This record gives sequence, structure tokens and C-alpha cells, in this order.
Amino acid sequence: MSWSTLTLAYRLRFVSTASAAAGLIAVMVAVGALFPAVGHTIGQLNLPKGVSELLGGADYGTITGWFGSEIGSVYGPLVIAGIAVAAASAATAGEEENGILALVLAHPIRRQQLVAAKGAAVAGVVLTIAFATWIGMILGVAAGGGGISLGHISAFTVQLASFGLASGALALALGAGTGRHALTVGASAAFLIAGWLINGFAPLTGATDWLKYLSLFYYYNGHDPLSNGLDLGGIVVLGAVTILLAAVAVTGMDRRDLHG
Amino acid sequence: MIETAGLTKDYGSGRGLFGLDLEIRQGEVFGFLGPNGAGKSTTLRLLLDLIRPTSGSARLLGLDARRESVAIRRRVGFLPGDLALYPKLTGSAVLRYLAQLRGGVNPRVLESLVERFDADLGRPIHQLSTGNRQKLGLIQAFMHEPELLILDEPISGLDPLVQQSFHALLAEVSAQGRTVFLSSHTLSEVERVTHRLAILRRGRLVVVDSLENLRKVALQRLEIEFAVPVAAEAFRTLPGVANVQADGNTITVSFEGAADAVVKAAAAYEVRAIRPREDNLEEIFLRYYQGTDTA
Repeated sequence: MSWSTLTLAYRLRFVSTASAAAGLIAVMVAVGALFPAVGHTIGQLNLPKGVSELLGGADYGTITGWFGSEIGSVYGPLVIAGIAVAAASAATAGEEENGILALVLAHPIRRQQLVAAKGAAVAGVVLTIAFATWIGMILGVAAGGGGISLGHISAFTVQLASFGLASGALALALGAGTGRHALTVGASAAFLIAGWLINGFAPLTGATDWLKYLSLFYYYNGHDPLSNGLDLGGIVVLGAVTILLAAVAVTGMDRRDLHG
Repeated sequence: MIETAGLTKDYGSGRGLFGLDLEIRQGEVFGFLGPNGAGKSTTLRLLLDLIRPTSGSARLLGLDARRESVAIRRRVGFLPGDLALYPKLTGSAVLRYLAQLRGGVNPRVLESLVERFDADLGRPIHQLSTGNRQKLGLIQAFMHEPELLILDEPISGLDPLVQQSFHALLAEVSAQGRTVFLSSHTLSEVERVTHRLAILRRGRLVVVDSLENLRKVALQRLEIEFAVPVAAEAFRTLPGVANVQADGNTITVSFEGAADAVVKAAAAYEVRAIRPREDNLEEIFLRYYQGTDTA
């Protein structure tokens, strides 16, 4: 691990990470503040089952369902995965394509050390966003009149952080393994969006229900951590996926020619 | 300091580097010339393990370029041809990071390099001109006082004054017994500073020699001005003559070896002036580049 590479990679993402974190907190406070005004009305909505599944059940009548739909199913994972994929792809394939890595790797640092440091920086970015989510949800729930325990908010944050780490590891593996920035961002986004749709639609019929197990979203939110607390099984799967993809990333770059 | 044996990187369709055998000695400033796409940067990237050879091997500082790459890179300074630095960082922050990767550098050496090149360390990289970015590239390559310097097109974008500083630095480095492997696509970039040079064309080594020896084998040229126009054919058949050009009353004869036959043939006419023309190294290099040399 190269500490200087880690700190530089984190520093290069700091402004976008801090902006996203601040925006996330502001949105969650606003979402919470809206609940007393619209919760009872919007709770009467009768959404089609497919849409309801995509929005995490869409139980808008309770503050848990309100936050689960607005933040847990869409905004939270979108922001954390987007930030993680952007950070991981820029730090690996992005720097490789624009030629920076050709200079950095002419210094006495192993490729494995470099990728490990970049991965640690991406993890730092993800954990920053997760922490902001935790703060934002505490404030948002308070603004909405309370109703979700601190334990369940923390459980949700841990599930979200695990999902963010797995998303970042996916982009890290693609970026380090291919050195192609557009491919890394495109393939990571496609996989994550497909996972979101599969997790929402696959359970609608018995024949396709099993497909949900292929989606990272299922292990993040399938257990509804805001209502039920920590899903250890989901965290173990997401952790294993993260470790596996990180290992692929670390070895992937070492086995090929550097581009740029 | 650098030894390659059959070093090959085959990209297909005739592109790449093929069977490079090269030996560069300690303290040498070695020029590596070739047109764009000849395989110069590929060679440099192979030496630093940025890309892996299809076949063959390379040793730097007595170490295997592939298996002992990190130990090599600790002792080598590298300037890539297409230098890219973190655009949002200042020059100072970039140099600090690169120095940290080397476990630190002597601050006095760094300061003297910054002063020598008059580098601007305070502004973000994206605000710097090409020349000012190149100065940072040179500073990072020299700042840890490496035993071996591998420089790809080092004076690209530098103004003449900074080029002069750079050439002086190369002379100092060489005098200290350190080695420089310098790649370029123009002769003028390496002519003043190299001890020996190699020319690469289409991925293959064409010639390795000193500039002095290359000059010796260069064609001599005499420009002979006559009182009246003279037929060029009178000179074409002379022994050693490679080329004859006629322009009005003047004939320019390019030949190998002694000038005796040319001068005696000219004496058959009324000669107003004979002017030796300097050996034109650029022509030699162009011949090698274009593949018209039969040597």
C-alpha cells in the first residue's frame, strides 16, 4: 500500500465527494421535512406492483416507507454507486488513458500497491458518503417527526456502505483490468442499473424470482434494513463480492501492458 | 548500464519493435533516433516494465527489467514523451507526491533544479504552458540523482535558453559517471550532447555508432563553379561519385573517398571556384530514416 497514493487519490475526489455529501444531507432533511405535509395524502396512492417494488415497497404512509422509497431505493444507492464508480474509474483507467500512470509507474511502486491504494481511497470516498447519509437520515427523520430508531438508521447505513464498496470494487476491477475509462463507467453503470431493475421486477413472477440473487441491490436492500435492521447475510455477500473484485483489480493490472 | 537481447514487442501489422540488441555503457549520453512510430517509445516503455516484451530480454543496471523492475525504477529517472501530470495540482504538489513515491529526495537538489529551470511550482498544472510542464517533467526525472536517466523527447516545448540549461545539465550528469538514454526524432536535439547514437526505423535497429564515425562515412561534396556550363555526365562515371547536380555554371558532386578524380576531371575545364560543402549529417539520417541506405 502506498500511503501517499491513497491520500492523493482521496484528495483528488474530495471536492466532488464533499459536494455530494452536503447535497445528500440537504435532500434527506428536505425529504424528512416534507413527510408531515404529504405523508398521509401520498400514502393513499395505489401504485402498480412493478413500480412499487422498484421503490422498495412504496409504503409512503409511514416515515420508514417514505425514507425507504425516496432514499433507500433510489437516491441513496444512486449517489453512493455513482460516486464510487466515478472515483474508481478515474483513479485507474482515467489516469491510465491520460498518461499519468505511465509516469507514476516509472517510480518504485508495484502495480498491486498502486491499485490497492486507489481502492482504499475509493473506500474512503464511499465511507464519507455513507457517513453523510447517516447524519442526513438522523436529521431528516427528526425533521419528519421521528419514527425510525437510530439502530435501524445505522443498519441501513452499513448496508448502503457495503453496496457502495461493492460498486466501487466493480469499477476498480474493470478499470484496473482493462485500462479503458468509458468501458469501465459504461459496464459498471449497466450492471448496476440491470441489478436495480432485476431486483424490482424479477420477484413479480415465481419463474424469475431467483434472478434477484444476481443483483447487488437484493443484498443491500432486499431485507429492508430501515424496517428490520441489519442483514448480516447481505453484508457478508457484499463483503465477499468486494474482496473478490478488489483481488481481481489488484492482479488485473499487473498482467497486462499499460495503455497511454 | 542497459543491455537488450533480441528485445521484441510485436503489435502486429509490422508495428512494434523487433530483435533489438543494444548495449549502453556507464557515463554515456546515448541518443536514440528514429522517425515517429519507429519504436523508440516502445523501447523505453519495455525498459521500464510499463509494457511486456513479446520475446527477448533487457537488463538495466545489471538487473532484469521484468523481474527486478521496482529496484531498477528506484535508480532510474524517466521523462515520458507525452508527459501528463495531475491537472488540478500545483507543480509543487506533483513534485511532492512523486518525491514521496521515491521515499523523499534531497531538498537542495530539488531547489537547484527548480532554480536552474526557473520552474513555476505555484500554479495548477492545467494553467501551465507546454514548456513549463516539460520543466516539471525534467525536474522530477533528475531530482533523486538517478544513476540512469531515460528521457523521451526531453527538449520538446522548451525555449532555447532552457534547452541550453538542459544540455549543460546533461554534460554535468555524464561527467559524474551517470548514464543518459535520450530518445528523439530530430538529430539537432541529440547532436550536441550524445557520445553515441542508434537509429531505429520501422522497429528495427539500423545503425549504432558515434557521431564522429558517422561523419567519416558521410559523403563529401564539392561545389565547382565553371566559366561556362559543363555537362554533369563528365563527373557521373568517376569512381566513388554518388550524385551530381548541375545548376547553371555550377556543378555539385557528392563522392566517397579521395577528391583526386573529381578535381582532375574539373581541371579539364576553366574553373572559377571550388567550394567544399560541409558533411550534411541530416542527409545521412534522412537516408537511414527513409531506408535508402544500403549499408
